[in-house]
Amino acid sequence: MQTLEVSPVMDFQSETYKDAYSRINAIVIEGELEANNNYKQLSEHLSDFKDDLLKLARMENRHMKGFQACSRNLSVTPDMPFARDFFAQLHDNFQTALAEGKMVTCLLIQSLIIETFAISAYNIYIPVADDFARKITEGVVKDEYMHLNFGEEWLKANFEASKAELETANRANLPLVWKMLNQVEDDAAVLGMEKDALVEDFMITYGEALSNIGFSARDVMRLSAQGLASA
Amino acid sequence: MFGLIGHLTSLEHAKSVAHKLGYPEYAEQGLDFWCSAPPQVVDHFKVVSATGQTIEGKYVESCFLPEMLANRRIKAATRKILNAMAHAQKEGINITALGGFSSIIFENFKLEQIKRVRNLDLDFSKFTTGNTHTAYVICKQVEDAAPGLGIDLTEATVAVCGATGDIGSAVCRWLTGRTGVKDLLLVARNQERLENLQAELKFGRVQTLDEALPQADVVVWVASMPKGVEVNLETLKQPCLMVDGGYPKNMDATFSYPGITVLKGGIVEHMLDIDWHIMNIVNMDVPGRQLFACFAESMLLEFEKLHTNFSWGRNQITLEKMDLIGEASRRHGFKPLLT
Repeated sequence: MQTLEVSPVMDFQSETYKDAYSRINAIVIEGELEANNNYKQLSEHLSDFKDDLLKLARMENRHMKGFQACSRNLSVTPDMPFARDFFAQLHDNFQTALAEGKMVTCLLIQSLIIETFAISAYNIYIPVADDFARKITEGVVKDEYMHLNFGEEWLKANFEASKAELETANRANLPLVWKMLNQVEDDAAVLGMEKDALVEDFMITYGEALSNIGFSARDVMRLSAQGLASA
Repeated sequence: MFGLIGHLTSLEHAKSVAHKLGYPEYAEQGLDFWCSAPPQVVDHFKVVSATGQTIEGKYVESCFLPEMLANRRIKAATRKILNAMAHAQKEGINITALGGFSSIIFENFKLEQIKRVRNLDLDFSKFTTGNTHTAYVICKQVEDAAPGLGIDLTEATVAVCGATGDIGSAVCRWLTGRTGVKDLLLVARNQERLENLQAELKFGRVQTLDEALPQADVVVWVASMPKGVEVNLETLKQPCLMVDGGYPKNMDATFSYPGITVLKGGIVEHMLDIDWHIMNIVNMDVPGRQLFACFAESMLLEFEKLHTNFSWGRNQITLEKMDLIGEASRRHGFKPLLT
């Protein structure tokens, strides 16, 4: 029987590592910034939850600063233009939905897709991270698990009214996630993060969220794999 | 609530099942996709005991495929098992059996070191390999089927292939302590483990597969046969009873020969129908009643409210534990498969 290979030893100071890190770290920073802005904007539309949402926005801002410290620690300059471009389509879809007052779509993009994308990446990153970044990321993951359910709770409470829009929004946005993962597959591999592990972690967490909201097991399987085949 | 963690036997099998169950997103995919696929609860059913007691169970498909090991996708394979266990625990299941390759992967890759799966600490006391019941059932199959073929165990030589494994060593203990077999042939790859086993049993002889087969009246297979093992069927004894304890059950084709009887090992039949569709998928002959003994162990532990990892670790199966699970098995209406 084969043995389980231990995680490869990383040279965090090598140029190859730092080059890949400049993009992955930028994505993480941009993701937290997106989240911060999205929650602030959502708080204007969901006034009953204004305080909760502003609290979330502040937390995402703290996370962003933590990840900025991670790149400083490795003397890496995050490639922010790359990251903004990386998130552009999801960003635009969120802004369009917001302008149209489609809260369900906004929550799917922010609370389900962006949050799950972040948590999966952090989960897979932690075992291969440098010591400094590991501590920061572990703290962030702990926070994220505590608030992952804001959008979930809202969508659950409004499930019947949201169902059709969730399906449409899922169809439009989930394929973007697979595209985004493909785009950074090589960089992630340099950091020791395997694409199949990232996809799997995403599908598990995303599927759990859909299931909590009220989708049946069959719907969860269908929705969480949407677009993966052609990615 | 009890649980079963299972998997399909090959990529082809997985594709056809996904197609049959109406999951086109899964049906056309290659191995890469299955390496990324999350665990799923694919069946939820009730089981009624011979005593009238009713329990509920869930079947968790881990999405593991044997090709992952063959293609050295070891990390994916281990993730499948841990994620399926985490899924079962999150579903609130009291006791879950690790079916097929699941327990082997858990043990070989020492997954007990990895207790944390995302935001969940695995509680290993909620899982069982089911190996005690499997070993018990295989022993009963040998004891009950041999006489019908004209094999008197007190005059018989029994070969155990995979003797040093968890199930194999338990079978050897039972055959030595409870059946009075004339001779026991111990076959396995690891010489040191074989010698330790023989020292523990104070019985039996260590042999190679080629040496053992022509001498055996009964062969118990609990090792995965390396592909391409050629057996000269003419050299085998007649009659000869083969108990196929592997997964998938594919020995009847290898040993299709006059005088050789192949029994599907480690399978039980329940006296009442179980309303599930999962045993259809793994191609049981009587899917409403037949199931793997390891799965039945989690049912028995749920019936008996023994919510503990009854079978766990390697070579921990005692005759007393086999007696206990065997007694529960009979009481709740399970019988070893004899046809």
